[in-house]
Order: sequence, then C-alpha cells, then structure tokens
Amino acid sequence: MATIGHNNINAKLVLLGDMGAGKSSIVLRFVKGQFLEFQESTIGAAFFSQTLAVNDATVKFEIWDTAGQERYHSLAPMYYRGAAAAIIVYDITNEDSFARAKKWVLELQKQGNPNMVVALAGNKADLEDKRKVTAEEARAYAEENNLFFMETSAKTASNVNDMFCEIAKRLPRAQPAPNPAGMVLVDRPSEGSRAAASCCS
Amino acid sequence: MYGTQSKIDHALEYQAQIAILRPSIHSRRANLTVKFQDLYGFTVEGNVDDVNVLNEVREKVRERNRLWWALEASKGANWYLHCSMGEGSTSSSLKSSLKLSVLTNAITLKKLIRQGIPPVLRPKVWFSLSGAAKKKSTVPESYYDDLTKATEGKVTAATRQIDQDLTRTFPGHPWLDTPEGHAALRRILVGYSFRDSDVGYCQGLNYVAALLLLVMKTEEDVFWMLAVLLENVLVNDCYTNNLSGCHVEQRVFKDLLAKKCPRIASHLDSMGFDVSLVATEWFLCLFSKSLPSETTLRVWDVLFYEGAKVIFNVALAIFKMKEDELLLTRHVGEVINILQITTHHLFDPDDLLTVAFETIGSMTSNTISKQRKKQEPEVMKELDERFRRLNSLKI
Repeated sequence: MATIGHNNINAKLVLLGDMGAGKSSIVLRFVKGQFLEFQESTIGAAFFSQTLAVNDATVKFEIWDTAGQERYHSLAPMYYRGAAAAIIVYDITNEDSFARAKKWVLELQKQGNPNMVVALAGNKADLEDKRKVTAEEARAYAEENNLFFMETSAKTASNVNDMFCEIAKRLPRAQPAPNPAGMVLVDRPSEGSRAAASCCS
Repeated sequence: MYGTQSKIDHALEYQAQIAILRPSIHSRRANLTVKFQDLYGFTVEGNVDDVNVLNEVREKVRERNRLWWALEASKGANWYLHCSMGEGSTSSSLKSSLKLSVLTNAITLKKLIRQGIPPVLRPKVWFSLSGAAKKKSTVPESYYDDLTKATEGKVTAATRQIDQDLTRTFPGHPWLDTPEGHAALRRILVGYSFRDSDVGYCQGLNYVAALLLLVMKTEEDVFWMLAVLLENVLVNDCYTNNLSGCHVEQRVFKDLLAKKCPRIASHLDSMGFDVSLVATEWFLCLFSKSLPSETTLRVWDVLFYEGAKVIFNVALAIFKMKEDELLLTRHVGEVINILQITTHHLFDPDDLLTVAFETIGSMTSNTISKQRKKQEPEVMKELDERFRRLNSLKI
C-alpha cells in the first residue's frame, strides 16, 4: 500500500513476468542507470529502493524484482501482497511472454489489492526487427483491462523512467494508510546511490 | 573437454593478485573500496580490511592442509573415506574396539569438517562422504557419457531455459563465463533434466552446478554431486513443479527462528517482514549467490556430511550475528540491507560457522524431519487451493 505523510509516499512495487523478459534490467536501469548485457538470473526475488520527485510529492519505491520461471509463481503472493503498484513485463520478441503477462494480469485482478496501479511493459523495444507482439495488440489489451501500457527498453533506457514516473503520479494520494498486510512503511529521507530523480512533467 | 589444469593455474594467479593488493597504510586511511578476485576467481568488492581477512583465510587454508596431511600420515591414507556417520550404525560400532576406532574417527572427522576441508581434498572427500560415489557405482561406468550423447541436440522446455541462463550464471567469471564453461554447465544441467523430469530445470540449480564445477575435478563428478544433493541430501521436491519442498523448508525455518532467535522473530513479525523474502534464495541456491565463495564451500563441506539441517543452522546464524542491529530496524529495506551487507562480507567462514554450530546449538536431523512432517499437509493444501484458483481464471 502507498502510505502518505508530509508529501512523502512510500510505495511497494512488484515486477512480474516471464523469465528473461527483462524485469531485473528495468530495475537496474531505473535504480542505477545501468544496463548489463547478461544480467544474473534472479532467484526468489531481489529488493531495491529508489525515490522519485513528482509534482506534489516524493515517492519512495520499494521494489521487489521477482524470479520469472513458472515454478517460482507459487512464491509470488509473498511479493505482491500489499503492493501499491505492479509492473508486468513481457518481451516484445516473445509471444509466450505476452501470454504469460496476461496470466499475471488476471491473477492480480483476482488476488491483488484492488487499488493497485498496474503497468504493462513491453520490454526490449530496441529489438524492432525481432518483434513478435505489436504495440497495437498490447495497447488494446491494456485498455480493455485498465492497465497503462508502455513499450520500454532497459538497454537504451527508453521509457523506463517515464513508466515509474507515470506510476508515481497515479498512486492514490488522499487516502490514509490502512496497511492491511501489516507491512510497515515509514518515511525516511531519500537514501541510496542516486539522489531523488526528478520526474518528467 | 573440461580442463582441470588450466583451472588450477587460474587459482594460483588469483592468489598472486590478492597478495599484490596488500593494503598500504595510505589506502587504509582512505577506506578505499577495491575490486579483487577471490580464490575461485569471483570478483568481489570490499575494503582493505576484507582483503586482509581473505589473506588470513588463505593462511588458515594452508594450516588445514597441513593438518589433514598429518592425519593421513598417522591414520592411513584416505582414512576419512571409511568413517560412517550413519545414525543407526553408532550403537553397533561400539561392540568392538575396531569399530570403536571407526567411531573415534567419525567424531574427529565431524569436528574436522566443521573446521573446513582443504580445497585440494574437497573433490575426493565430498564425492565419497556425500554418497555421490556410491550412487555412481550403481550404474554402468558409461552412464554420464551415454546420457550426454543421448540428449545432445534434444530441445525441451528445460533445455531452452537452461540455454537462456548459461550466460546469466555468474557472468564475468573468468572460467564459467567462457564457451568452455557454458558447455560444461549445459551438459550437466541438460543431463540432469533428462535424469529427473520432475525437476527438469529449476533456476537456482545453475548457480549450484556452476560452483560445483569450480570445485570438482571432472564434469561427471559434478553431475553426481548434483544428483546426490537433489535425491538424497536435500528435502524432496525443493526444485520440482511448485517448489513445495522449498515452501516446507521456509515454514520450518520460521518456526526455528521463533524458537532460536525469539526477539528477532517477534520484531520482524511486528513489522510484517516475512523472513522467506530473503531466505528463499539462500535455500534454493545453497548460499552460492549470497556468501563469498570459500564461505559457501565451507557451508557445503558440512552440508554434504551432516545433511540439509545445516542450511537451517547457517540461515539462523546470519540473523543471529546481526541481532542487535536487526532489533533496531523499523523498515523492510533496512532489514534487507543489513542481511545483504552481512552475507556479502562474510569473508571469514569461521565467523559464520562458529555462530551456526556453537551459538545456535545442535538440531538433530530427526527433529527437523518431524517439523517438516508437521508442515507438509498445510503447504500442500495451500498450494493446491492456489492451483485450483488460478486454473479457474480464464483468459
């Protein structure tokens, strides 16, 4: 859940999607501004935090980057429980990964927090010549399911920060923190290797 | 084929590099972070104190070497290969003085192994004591060669996933991340995926097999170590279908944490912090992604001799070592930071293992088995319900 205080918002965010879709690369791009051609496969999940300044507030994302292999699916509820936002990632060069993304959407609709901001990210947008999933198809699906959609490239950095900014803007502002999952999120000054990035307007 | 000699040369090279990095007073003042390669070729980042610790560890390894060779001289060559730690054999061992010497050796060996097996002896000692040698001896000599030949060129869901992970397994390692390293890792993982189709390929095994490749003398021995690990040492179904075995272990771990470290458990619980968030990776990768290589291998020394309960001792120890700091945390991120920094900097294996076996205290395999039995039905019920719920979702 997103919690609020003095215009500081803490938001738990989870990345879900097929193995090799680029979840860890998107996080690494967003948190450290880096890209690795060969990113270590994630086991269980990895945790990161990053702060963003949006118009009226500072949003501190607490990011859970999960493992993509199908059998790790059974661990996912532990990571999306109480999340304010989710990014469901697929690889535009891989149709199976898009099918998998749709399954995640369904699962979050049934099991996740109803106010969750859900983004659909078509990653590896730099690999246009290998594209298998059209942007139109994905956009139509996203609209139908009330998700917001962007094609991203962790490699070129295209749309990665924008996507997090957009999520930050869409997080519910006014409600107090009910915190049903008991995850304690307290306000702290921004820390970490990068200073609070300013959001695009 | 897979070159043992070149690997040994590499190891010597890394040791030389560590020596060059011996810190000056100047750099110590600046508290510089340096990148260096450890004994197994992994690039690690640390400050000059870490480099010093690593040098001390190397010195301790040499001492252990001398000790094991001295025992070899006094007790006979390969004496440790004849020690049986089977729990049932203990009482009958007492019946004759000859058997008594076996028991004495077994006690000596248990203690010695907790102090660490010298890296040069690891391939032989692990292979024998883990049961891998016995497993291998039950099938024709050509089993592994036949298996790799028969599976060559076959494409399955598992092989596709393995291919995706080869370059993502310890990327940048000077041997593992080469065509030769990838090919060896691939043959082992593909071979195993055909040996046990219930496991097929599970992410996490790539790291375990890769680290085994740096220790064992031959690729075939790695295959058998992996087999004995999954089929005998670890709890069943850790890596299958829905990781049910892993779910059971996590529940047992939570119970043990509440029992052995009650203050930490209740503090984290009040924050809504589920320890599985971090411990899952430890259990599935057997610490290979979190601890420095020699520390991981010291854990494996004991794991292969005493069994899977060792993972609990070590995981509990990591929390226990940072009890005071953990009790001050107010936030999920802080807990994770503390645990990550701690594990990444545990360059001295004795720091960890002393807490794991002395402070945490002994837990018998029997106790752990009982706990697992208690948790199994609940885990299966939960996974089953979840499976049915997800199946009812239609696109």
